Amino acid sequence: MKKLLPLLASLLLAMPALAKDEFHLYNWNNYIAPETIKRFEDSCKCEVVQTYYSDNEELLAKLAAGAKGYDMLVPTSNAVEALIKGKQLKAIDKSQLPNLKNIDPRYLDTPFDPGNKYSVPYAMSTTIIGYNEQKMKELGLPTDTWAVIFDPKYLQKVKGRVTVLDSSSELFAAALKYLGYSANDVDEKHWKEAADAIKKGKPYWAAFNASSYIKELTVGNIWLVHGYSNDIFQANLDAQAAKRSFRILQGMPKEGAVLAVDNMVIHKDAPRPDLAHKFMNFMLEGKNSAELTNLIGSGNPNLDAVKYIKPEILKNPAIFPDKAVAAKLEQLKELTAAQRRLRNRMWTEIKAGR
Amino acid sequence: MKPKSISAATRPRVGKWLVTGPPLAYLLLFFAIPSLIMVLASFRTPGEFGGLAPLFEEGRLDLNLDSYVRFFSESIYAQIFAKSVWYALATTLFCLALAYPLAALIAKSGRRYRDLLLLLVILPFWSNFLIRVYAWMIIFGPNAALARTVNGVLAWFGHEPVPLLFSSFAVLVCLVYVHLPFMVLPLYANLEKHDQALLDAAQDLGANAWQRFWRITFPLSLPGVYAGAALVFIPALGIFAIPDILGGPEDSLIGNVIKQQFLETRDWPFGSVLSIVLTIAALFLAGLAACVARGNLGTPSSVKAARA
Repeated sequence: MKKLLPLLASLLLAMPALAKDEFHLYNWNNYIAPETIKRFEDSCKCEVVQTYYSDNEELLAKLAAGAKGYDMLVPTSNAVEALIKGKQLKAIDKSQLPNLKNIDPRYLDTPFDPGNKYSVPYAMSTTIIGYNEQKMKELGLPTDTWAVIFDPKYLQKVKGRVTVLDSSSELFAAALKYLGYSANDVDEKHWKEAADAIKKGKPYWAAFNASSYIKELTVGNIWLVHGYSNDIFQANLDAQAAKRSFRILQGMPKEGAVLAVDNMVIHKDAPRPDLAHKFMNFMLEGKNSAELTNLIGSGNPNLDAVKYIKPEILKNPAIFPDKAVAAKLEQLKELTAAQRRLRNRMWTEIKAGR
Repeated sequence: MKPKSISAATRPRVGKWLVTGPPLAYLLLFFAIPSLIMVLASFRTPGEFGGLAPLFEEGRLDLNLDSYVRFFSESIYAQIFAKSVWYALATTLFCLALAYPLAALIAKSGRRYRDLLLLLVILPFWSNFLIRVYAWMIIFGPNAALARTVNGVLAWFGHEPVPLLFSSFAVLVCLVYVHLPFMVLPLYANLEKHDQALLDAAQDLGANAWQRFWRITFPLSLPGVYAGAALVFIPALGIFAIPDILGGPEDSLIGNVIKQQFLETRDWPFGSVLSIVLTIAALFLAGLAACVARGNLGTPSSVKAARA
């Protein structure tokens, strides 16, 4: 064994040299345009290997359990904060990122990562209302307020045709906004009010659903959702491709909504931080960043990208909100362990109670 | 003589270890050790940003009963457990009712068809579990034939239409569907070995079809019933994917609550407590089934009578 160890070690060291250059990107599903990947592969003479997660919790759980081998992750701001505090990230060398100047300063130097030591913005989405335009018109329901998701007065007209996200943080945030509080309010009294609002709406909802509501909207089974702006955009693309008679539209609630900024970060054990920096700078180029927005309707923090974005997307107020709406958008902050426990207890009661 | 007898005694022992060692090591590695890690985690404190707080804080061991206290001081978790047991029990009974005639049919059919029928029973395993569950979404959809027929009949009785998708009904149907083969196979394995002579003898002695089934076939098939019931009940108890995908707002089972602890809430200690309770419940029920099965495995009086 003693003789074997150095041999093994030298074999392991030799491995990366033998293999083709690989850049491991742990990303959201469908969160980069295929042509963008192609162009990056051509420029870096490497291969992009993508693996996917479907929510930040999945990413955090996997890394907390000790997953390794990823160069770059694209978590939402609050997860970035958790990763920084959990010492999971490598600091960025900004001298390698000349394109960082393209990012709208509003999205830099946030409380999640002061001075952007670890993260740079990638793309954004909002958690809003999605609806079947035809049905909502027929029923005469408003689409610009959280009341339509929580108030039985409206809900009784769409009983069983509504889904909300199966995520305690998103649903509590929407309920808090509906009640006029901040999405990041941590007052237990306000949380109880929010839980009551959720319980009042629940009998009218078909399901807590974060996975299949895109499809259900597209085929016309579900008419109204609390969901992510990118998903609702996708549902409409699918509905148009299937030549449905209705459109799926995005409704920005006047009370405000959750803004999720996803950021590029480098994992502390990244095998290729050099490629990660190259990729960051590449994605900060307006053209590459715009391709994603054109593909999935994501919000874009890149000022240089605007000129490449399709005009109909630029006009969409749910993707590019005006100043008044933008002021009411909030990014979710990380809860403490005790707060997460309390929130989970309320959530279990909401879901198990009748 | 002496050395020979020793080697004769040791050789089988070495052979036994060679055969049983790997599965034993496997169980130790992938069941016992993770279970112990889970037990340890259940006494620790959740980390502020997920994972666990350090075991040694300021030179003192940080172990506590907080998560257990939480579990036993709030009735909601017992309620969810009760609901999950209820779903798993209903699944087991429906599976038994559906699988028994099918297994009997396969056991009775000629060799030629038997293999084909068995193949058909395990055929669903060839496609992915999740894909099959998603297929049920389409079957239950409000515009699918099933929902239209059901609601057509209901309308005839003046009842309001009911949604099938996102309902407890959908969850139960899919649970039965997914677990049915696990009931059919052990039942078939048992029924296939039954001695036809016993039934013939009973018939000669004047037993009618029902008596022959109830006093001979059924008691003899009990080991198969228990094995099938354990194979269905235990996985059904901890399942989370089906209620997640097909369930309505009410259908949150214990598996879903455990999943939440590890993902959304990042509360490993409490998730471990729930998992431990689930594991103990499953082990207890499996043990119970094994005991009852062993008790019956000796010869029930009716069979003794039939053999006499």
